[in-house]
Amino acid sequence: MLRRYRFEILAIIAILVFCALFVYTSSKMGNAEFAGSDDMGSAQISKITGIPEEQFHPLIGQWVPPSGEIESALFALQAAIGGIAVGWVFGYWKGLKEKG
Amino acid sequence: MHIMEGFLPWSWAAFWWLLALPCLALGVYQLNKVLKVDREALPLLGVTGGFVFILSSLKLPSVTGSCSHPTGTGLPTICFGPWITSVICAIVLLFQALFLAHGGLSTMGANIISMGVAGPLIGWGIYRALRDTRVSMFITVFLVCAFADLFTYVVTSLELALAYPAQVGGVGSSFVVFMGIFAITQIPLAIVESFVLVLVFKYIVQLRPGILIRLKVFPEAKIMAARVDA
Repeated sequence: MLRRYRFEILAIIAILVFCALFVYTSSKMGNAEFAGSDDMGSAQISKITGIPEEQFHPLIGQWVPPSGEIESALFALQAAIGGIAVGWVFGYWKGLKEKG
Repeated sequence: MHIMEGFLPWSWAAFWWLLALPCLALGVYQLNKVLKVDREALPLLGVTGGFVFILSSLKLPSVTGSCSHPTGTGLPTICFGPWITSVICAIVLLFQALFLAHGGLSTMGANIISMGVAGPLIGWGIYRALRDTRVSMFITVFLVCAFADLFTYVVTSLELALAYPAQVGGVGSSFVVFMGIFAITQIPLAIVESFVLVLVFKYIVQLRPGILIRLKVFPEAKIMAARVDA
């Protein structure tokens, strides 16, 4: 039983440890903003070059989501597209298997 | 790992695009070939690509007090190789550049190289080295996923360091600074991602071992043994 579900158990433990680490760091590091590392990379570029971030203009014009809400909706859409593909295929395979 | 739009000078943006294009062309060519030979490869592509979509949309907090996202490129790398993986990544990155302002069209070449080519190539190397050995399939999957993810961020750091060498210490010291931002944050994420993808791979082995055998993803004996065991 334990051996049969060892990967499920390992995945759950890994996720729990990850959550515990998050709770620990967010309580210990009072000033942690949990900003995206992409943005921190951009900030570092402006530090190295001495050019303020606002002066980096897109080379190719880009639509920017007008607010964080719209951005998170679109991120959720991306995850949903992936989720539909994954669920559809696993369901298809399961159906094939049961049919024999 | 996204380099934001406008944060690479034209010369570097063009350079990475020039490197990325042949990889994508080869990927599209291989993809056509694989799908022509075996239609059952399409669902497998859907599952492995689907996880790239899901995982790269999750920006997770890390021990460094910042957030980053896993890549999920290990599974398609194992099943289809790095070039087809680069095509999947290009689709995801295009979506994010157009609708999310994460990354951008000019920096997409660099982002394709780090997420879709460099990471998967390292993973592919590990996979090829371990495939025919006695090392467990699942340990192989774990290592490939972890290193494909981590190395993506190492290469992002390198791309930024090359474009923005520090005034003191040049590319090397810039690289160390960017590694501190990207790679350290990524270590716990890469580990969790790999545990999850090993589980996904187990389900693929249980449900559809045939396609893995036909694509010669792992030796038949290993796949059948894992089915009995799992």
